[in-house]
Amino acid sequence: MAAPARSGSRRDSLVLAACVALALVARVVPEPMKEPAATSLRRTVVAPLVALQRDAELSRKAFLEREEIARVRDSVALDGMMDAAIRRENEQLRRTVGLGARLRWGFVPAEILHGQSIGEEYTVTLSAGSRAGARPYSPVVAADGIVGMVKTVDPGMSIAILWSHPDFRVSAMAADGSAFGIVAARLASPGPRNLLELRGVPMRSTLKPGTMIWSSGMGGVFPRGIPLGTVIAEDKQPMEVWARTYILKPAVNPADVDAVMILRPERQQGGLQGIWASPASVDSAVRRIVAAGDSAARQAAADSARRAAAADSTSRAATPAPPPAPDSGTARRTPPAPAAARRDTIRRDTTTRRAAPRDTTRSTP
Amino acid sequence: MRGMGALRTALAFVILVMLHYTLRPLLAWRAQPDFLLIALLLVAIRVRPGVAAVVGLIMGFVADSLALHAFGSAAMAMSLVAFSASWLKAVFFADNLALNAVFFFVGKWAFNVIYLLMERRYAGGELLMQVLVWSSLSAAVTAFMGLLTLLILRPILRTSSQ
Repeated sequence: MAAPARSGSRRDSLVLAACVALALVARVVPEPMKEPAATSLRRTVVAPLVALQRDAELSRKAFLEREEIARVRDSVALDGMMDAAIRRENEQLRRTVGLGARLRWGFVPAEILHGQSIGEEYTVTLSAGSRAGARPYSPVVAADGIVGMVKTVDPGMSIAILWSHPDFRVSAMAADGSAFGIVAARLASPGPRNLLELRGVPMRSTLKPGTMIWSSGMGGVFPRGIPLGTVIAEDKQPMEVWARTYILKPAVNPADVDAVMILRPERQQGGLQGIWASPASVDSAVRRIVAAGDSAARQAAADSARRAAAADSTSRAATPAPPPAPDSGTARRTPPAPAAARRDTIRRDTTTRRAAPRDTTRSTP
Repeated sequence: MRGMGALRTALAFVILVMLHYTLRPLLAWRAQPDFLLIALLLVAIRVRPGVAAVVGLIMGFVADSLALHAFGSAAMAMSLVAFSASWLKAVFFADNLALNAVFFFVGKWAFNVIYLLMERRYAGGELLMQVLVWSSLSAAVTAFMGLLTLLILRPILRTSSQ
């Protein structure tokens, strides 16, 4: 057995030597001599293997490109979403700028920091505090109307309750002065909780759907002429028997508002009539601001608008007030002038009366 | 190795060669598993050393046909590795996974070292880096894949007759 094994081993060694020699020859021969051998291998034995490898690499490339395509698609979708958000924010800011231009004085601009935790559904933190001029019970308004009221003030920030707060109250009236009442958040358990209701409206006063409701300025906290909402329908199951209750669609959805104005006390006393009454002029002012390409143009537009507004107010002060416009749309948007008689009327008509100001909170200190 | 055994080994060999040209490009790892070497070692331990050397030479030329600058290097390396594996097969008769992993690791590492020396593309520190780091990593990955292959193909590669 040993001899065949040895011969076999010798034969294996010879084969190995031959293989090594062949490999060495293949390694050292010049390139032109290697190429035909390699080419013949590639075109015969290796061809299907190379095809397999090519397919695998194409598959991998397709897989990676699929991920890339998905990534690009997601990025585009994200950009689109951000674009929409930026457009919305831009629109809000333009409207807020328009409101600032109309208010002209007596306000503090602030940003809303929406609370995210439980218990913060009805309050927001405002970025302006007492250093900026915010005071407790200052009204918080946005371009579309009332947002809430400052509750507590710190030097650098303040906390405001929203109109959806259970303690929020505003003395209100219809646009044509035909009805007065108290606006509060609608807290009825069935149905949505993002509505307002106008309570204590005399039985003889009926309001049509779509009627604009404004702050009446009677409570001493909210000046007259801030939009609160529009009438949707009458509440057929009111708590009060001798008065009507109307459901209102709020003028402002606090969740959509990021920039607001806090009205300072002197502005509260000065009144806000006409601020929300001329949407056309506001829109044109905003358009002018947007159309201005650079800051200089914006500044010039703001200055001219300010001059025009000043001249307009001077002429208004010098001339008697014009008669009310005949069309109902204008009449609905224009709050009436304060009238003691109306106040008396509502006092007579309402069944519940409070000694405290109407538009204060229940937790008034 | 005759009859069914040869057929089984041939089947496993074909599967591994296919994996080399399909799975490897899909994975595209920096340290690649070498299914050709796993196939060669699986065949080599089942044949005589001379036959193993010839199989290694052929497989080496096939691999070299796609790398003209080193034509002959893989042929040389595979011949030597296959011959050595076949000559040492008595050591690896045991059906021990760890021992087989070492076998694949050493086989791949030796192949890489011989190939790099024959190719003469790297020198000095770069060669050391290739030998000690990348060859070791590639050998480790190959050993891992070899173990997986053994586990998956165990029904085919049963060595009870040996």
